[in-house]
Amino acid sequence: MKNMNIKRKLQLKFAGVVVLFVVCGLYAYPQAVARFAPAYNFFDKFKINLGLDLQGGFHLEYKADVSKIDSAKVAEAMQGAQTVIERRVNAFGVGEPLVQISKSGNENRIIVELPGIKDIEAAKAKIKDAPLLEFKEEGPVNEQVKQMFDQSNAASKEKAQKILDEVKKGGDFAQLAKDNSEDPGSKDKGGDLDFVKKGAFVPEFDKILFESNLKPGDVYPQLVESQYGWHIIKFIESRGEGDALEVHSAHILFGKKDPSQYDQFKYQETGLTGKNLKSATAQYSSGQGLGEPEVSLQFDDEGTKLFAELTKKNLNKQIAIFLDGELQIAPTVQVEITNGQAVITGGYTFKTAKDIADRLNQGALPVPLTLVGQQSVEATLGADSLKSILIAGAIGLAAVIVFMLIFYRFLGLVASLALLIYTVLMITIFKMTGITLTLSGIAGFVLSIGMAVDANILIFERTKEEIRGGRTIANSLEEGFRRAWTSIRDGNVSSLLTAGILYLMGTGFVKGFAAALFIGVVVSMFTAVVITRTMLKVIISDWIHGRTWLVGVRKSDVSD
Amino acid sequence: MINIVGKTKYAYIFSVIVTVLSILSLFFWGLKYDIDFTGGTRMVIKFANEIPAKDEITGLLSEMNLNSLTLQNSENNSMVVRYASEDDKTNVDVWAKINEKYTDATQSSVDFFNSSVSGELKSKSINALVLAIMAIMAYIAWAFRKVSRPVESWKYGAGAVIALAHDILITTGVFSLLGHFYGIEIGIPFIAALLTILGFSVHDTIVVYDRTRENLLRSSSKTPFPEVVNQSLNETLVRSINTSLTVIITLLAMYIFGGVSIKYFALALLVGVGFGTYSSIFIATALLVTSYELTLKYKK
Repeated sequence: MKNMNIKRKLQLKFAGVVVLFVVCGLYAYPQAVARFAPAYNFFDKFKINLGLDLQGGFHLEYKADVSKIDSAKVAEAMQGAQTVIERRVNAFGVGEPLVQISKSGNENRIIVELPGIKDIEAAKAKIKDAPLLEFKEEGPVNEQVKQMFDQSNAASKEKAQKILDEVKKGGDFAQLAKDNSEDPGSKDKGGDLDFVKKGAFVPEFDKILFESNLKPGDVYPQLVESQYGWHIIKFIESRGEGDALEVHSAHILFGKKDPSQYDQFKYQETGLTGKNLKSATAQYSSGQGLGEPEVSLQFDDEGTKLFAELTKKNLNKQIAIFLDGELQIAPTVQVEITNGQAVITGGYTFKTAKDIADRLNQGALPVPLTLVGQQSVEATLGADSLKSILIAGAIGLAAVIVFMLIFYRFLGLVASLALLIYTVLMITIFKMTGITLTLSGIAGFVLSIGMAVDANILIFERTKEEIRGGRTIANSLEEGFRRAWTSIRDGNVSSLLTAGILYLMGTGFVKGFAAALFIGVVVSMFTAVVITRTMLKVIISDWIHGRTWLVGVRKSDVSD
Repeated sequence: MINIVGKTKYAYIFSVIVTVLSILSLFFWGLKYDIDFTGGTRMVIKFANEIPAKDEITGLLSEMNLNSLTLQNSENNSMVVRYASEDDKTNVDVWAKINEKYTDATQSSVDFFNSSVSGELKSKSINALVLAIMAIMAYIAWAFRKVSRPVESWKYGAGAVIALAHDILITTGVFSLLGHFYGIEIGIPFIAALLTILGFSVHDTIVVYDRTRENLLRSSSKTPFPEVVNQSLNETLVRSINTSLTVIITLLAMYIFGGVSIKYFALALLVGVGFGTYSSIFIATALLVTSYELTLKYKK
């Protein structure tokens, strides 16, 4: 009864091995049932996750400069940068990009991995190209900026006065204009402005020409201030009467600068930047007929809040959107916006609207990044590498099988079957777990094929010894499995230890290799010991008795 | 039975010579470090038709004043351009210069390590090596804790560690020679190979020691120790060689067919596994016998 149970158990185990082989085999090589679509689709569900070095792609490591960021906000800024880069690389639309933050000592890093890239530099430029997006509002000019302008204007006025004095002393007006005037249109002509009718110039200027009764050749004795700056005005001649009166004059201009003339000074920072933008899309405005192309913006939660405050505060005023410090558009706020959506119109063609949306989608990085490391492989080179290593693996596998058959004959055949099970089991594990298989990972796998039969060799050599010692083949096998186990265990522990340490060391090449080797060693202990043993127990019975050549032992070596 | 223990002398002489040569080569020529340890860029450029003369490329890049620029022809119409670099702008400029003249050329791969990254990789590698050696030593001490007669267990450990040091030293020495004569550089893959060799070499040594331990327990106390060791060696010889052979078969397949990227990694493993097998058969056990004989001498 007990015997029956053992036999029954063994049969179940053997059936388990067969099922494992068939199922894993199909997962590893679903093409085997390519003609039977439902089965093929079922087993083809899992794909090997190839590393960047095999499918082409790059691994970039950026160092973030957080020196200008409040230390409490560094983590937030890094996350912001991560989101922005993710958005940018997602736009490439190839493979599954990975963007992660890592810390190395005191340095904040961002790692970007992008598979399937053909043009390395172009893709890198797209990531690196970092437009700075800012939302600004109208507001009083910064005090410091104002002071700077005031100083420069005062100096300009002083100079104007000095030149006026020179003109009064009889200096050559035309020459002085040539040398000093800041009016590019007239300076080379000696300040000559030709004949004009009343109303052609700014009122301050007009008043001097038409109302101050200057005579031909006169220079107005004072500086005349206008929005452009300070003018020294010379009346040359006049013609016509009444409405047709025209005056020919010349001037020397000393420019005056107003910060509000400059976009970058006119608008003030609001704290709302590209990091708060969720997305931008180009669309046609809704309404009757074909709408007008516009850019629609969607903010994230924080951005929505900021934008609501901003629109409330700036009702009927402009909000300016800057990209890389350049004003893009400055729409006027019509209504407070609380849903975090904004629409920008401005007589765009659909293409310009789309360009703007694309640029906005690229967003802005909240921290400056410097590239400190790069590993990139162009796709065809990756494919070549994959081909070579697969060929090497196949040849290695075949050679190991031949070796086992020569040395261990029938036992070698069983070990080879176990090795095939090992191979398909490993491929299934790689597929199911989605472990990324790099070139070094496959190398570790191929190496593990050579190591996987180690346990079998230990067992079989032990078995051969026992046979030579006079035991029956079946008995010797039992003994071989039992006695070789401590060696197998102890020997593999050292391999597992180093593979574990390699994995923890954690750089790309090493990690892939170590993971494959580690899994390989564990799985091979199972296939070489449990699976081989089950198969041998089922197959080997009385028929093998005395046929020692089947296991590679010469009869003459067997002691009685 | 082959008298392996009796030939210890030759094994010692051979190992000492090879080890000393390795040390000398390391001392005089050192190792050629790859960019992942020194920092810099390696750019593989594939040309559409023919690989241009190296002078042309050197001339093209001369005004950039690149430090330690080397050019090397490779498979598939490719050229490997290496130079010291700290900033990615250098890489962009180099490629712009080359692409301007050879418009059909493409970048097959670009590896760039800023000195902060390479420094980090270097210290990580050293940490891993130190950690692995300590873990292996602890493991050996544990694995042989029960053996005591007639050689103390720590001596097994010491024997295994010396054999390990021997394998690692010779592998590194071989790559020092390869570096000096063929410009082969060592980087992270080499460290990975060394660690794998560590694991493998101990694996082999343990198999032999394990048998010695088993035979010691079984044999009568009258059998001389060197004889027990020799018997164990003979019993494990075939399997030591065979287990290594299957690994060597797969490594050879990778060395020959596996492609450029993996070639020298496979070679480092081949050298290490080869010497590892040799040292576990001829050195590790011989050391046990030698230490046993030395103890006998002192006792007299």
